Amino acid sequence: MNRNRIVIDIQDVVKTYEEGRIHALNGATLQIREGEFVAITGPSGCGKSTLIHLIAALDRPDSGRIAVNGVDLARMGDLSRYRAREVGLVFQLHNLLPTLSAAANVQVPMYEAELSFWDRRAKAQRLLEAVGLGDRASTPPTKLSGGERQRVAIALALANDPPLLLADEPTGNLDSKAGEMVLDLLRSIQRERGVTLVLVTHDLRIAGSAERIVRMLDGRVVDAGVTSTEAGP
Amino acid sequence: MPFFMLIFRNLLRQRIRTLLTALGISLGITTVVALGVVTHSLKATAEDILHAGGADFAIGQSGSADLSFSTLTEEQLEDVAAYPEVDHAIGVLMAFSRAGSNPYFVQLGIEPADLEHFDVPLLEGRYLALGASNEILLGQEGASQLGKELGDTVELKDRTFTVVGIYRTGNVWEDGGAMLPLATVQEYERKDGLFTLIYVKARPGTDLDELTARIEEAHPELATLRTISDYGDVDQGIEIMDAANLAISFLAVFIGGIGVMNTMVMAVMERTREFGILRAVGWRQRRVLQMVLGESILLCLIGAVVGSILAVIFTRAILIFPVVRSFLDPEYTPEVFIRGLVVGVAVALLGALYPAIRAVRLSPIQAIRYE
Repeated sequence: MNRNRIVIDIQDVVKTYEEGRIHALNGATLQIREGEFVAITGPSGCGKSTLIHLIAALDRPDSGRIAVNGVDLARMGDLSRYRAREVGLVFQLHNLLPTLSAAANVQVPMYEAELSFWDRRAKAQRLLEAVGLGDRASTPPTKLSGGERQRVAIALALANDPPLLLADEPTGNLDSKAGEMVLDLLRSIQRERGVTLVLVTHDLRIAGSAERIVRMLDGRVVDAGVTSTEAGP
Repeated sequence: MPFFMLIFRNLLRQRIRTLLTALGISLGITTVVALGVVTHSLKATAEDILHAGGADFAIGQSGSADLSFSTLTEEQLEDVAAYPEVDHAIGVLMAFSRAGSNPYFVQLGIEPADLEHFDVPLLEGRYLALGASNEILLGQEGASQLGKELGDTVELKDRTFTVVGIYRTGNVWEDGGAMLPLATVQEYERKDGLFTLIYVKARPGTDLDELTARIEEAHPELATLRTISDYGDVDQGIEIMDAANLAISFLAVFIGGIGVMNTMVMAVMERTREFGILRAVGWRQRRVLQMVLGESILLCLIGAVVGSILAVIFTRAILIFPVVRSFLDPEYTPEVFIRGLVVGVAVALLGALYPAIRAVRLSPIQAIRYE
């Protein structure tokens, strides 16, 4: 891992909704390095979630450029493959399928990874054990607590071993204890797996646990922050 | 979980809706398969008619709307019999009238002398006596329906006939009816000197194609009948049934397709957010398409299997009617079930097309935000 290498390069990105009436991003620019833990903060409507959705290629910017590992997403032919292999997503509201068990949910992204049924099953079990839910593999999300659901969602996000983990208000719907547990889990995953973690939060206390805090306002990055290594001793 | 199981589990989410849709499809498939079985079986019966008595081919009046309307004369019988390749030409007159509970009891008028050349295996009794006018041979099924045995009497057309023999040819049409002296049938049908069909047995080694072509060339008013495709020359019934079968199949596809589309559109609408999640975690459009089409095809296959079973039950059930048993011996060929399956898959594809396209075109972010 090269912690000086820029893996996400966002240049002057503009994104509007409702035929240009709502400006979600208004020339946002930001670089994120490999293995970094970056928290993006700002008031509601400042564009932080939109930015993370664009990095995840769930949507396309009106203008500007987003490059991941040097490849412009706008020029990428197969965004599904990018989403399946390069990005793990954790949302505020867990995105689990209610009719499937926790293990079956974790296997959902793996259908695109051409793993055998047995490999998918074993890997899902390993991931659930990694998030502390090895004994809840056959439980459907409806019978899990909010914190447990979010941990299953994290296991799901890691299903295809993505180098980039994007979390949009992952503790927003949790009580403080469960939120702390989820945050600890994300931090340990970032450290142990060396993934780049971009976390969107409006909670400055949670943002404080990141290596770098990026502040947004009115669709722009107003403070890109500095990492602990850049800040020096 | 295997991908197939994921598709199956999705169908189980709305069990009642899935059940009702599958039931709706199965009724369409029942109609298609049952009609296919009936049509196929009637064709088999019709083909048997053409080769009754072990004949190489039959001759009828060209252009008849119905086989029973075919009218042939003694001169025509003599002309056919005169061909050197013809070993035997046997004229028969068909009649239908009520007997017992069967309103269309088949009666075949035949010269008693011709019976020795007309393969009618007797189970008991004897053939019609020469010159006898009040004797009758009953087919095994006909005797069973009428509850008659050897030596009993049968009332037909206000006449009383004595059962002198019971036969079984294996032809449902012959076995469900009776054979009587030709002159008697001609008399009560008021068709003196007339026949419905001429059965021809050719001499061994005869080129039947050449012989039938020559007969038709010399007698344009005659139609030689060797196969079921020739049958349409003297009876449009089978062709009409084929056309009805095709029309009903199309109708079943259309109506079934609307039902499936309704179900699948609802399923896709309800799961809009889920499709967004699947796209967000990297599912390609092709896999989403596979899932929606897979659900639809599985639904229709369930309908096709249930429909085929119902069709078998239905076609067995209609045999309780004696009149049906006289004409129909259901044959369950692979083709009719394959047709049901093809209709099922066509319904699935037609019904899933729009919802599948809708699911595939969903923007991941819009779908995730969908409430």
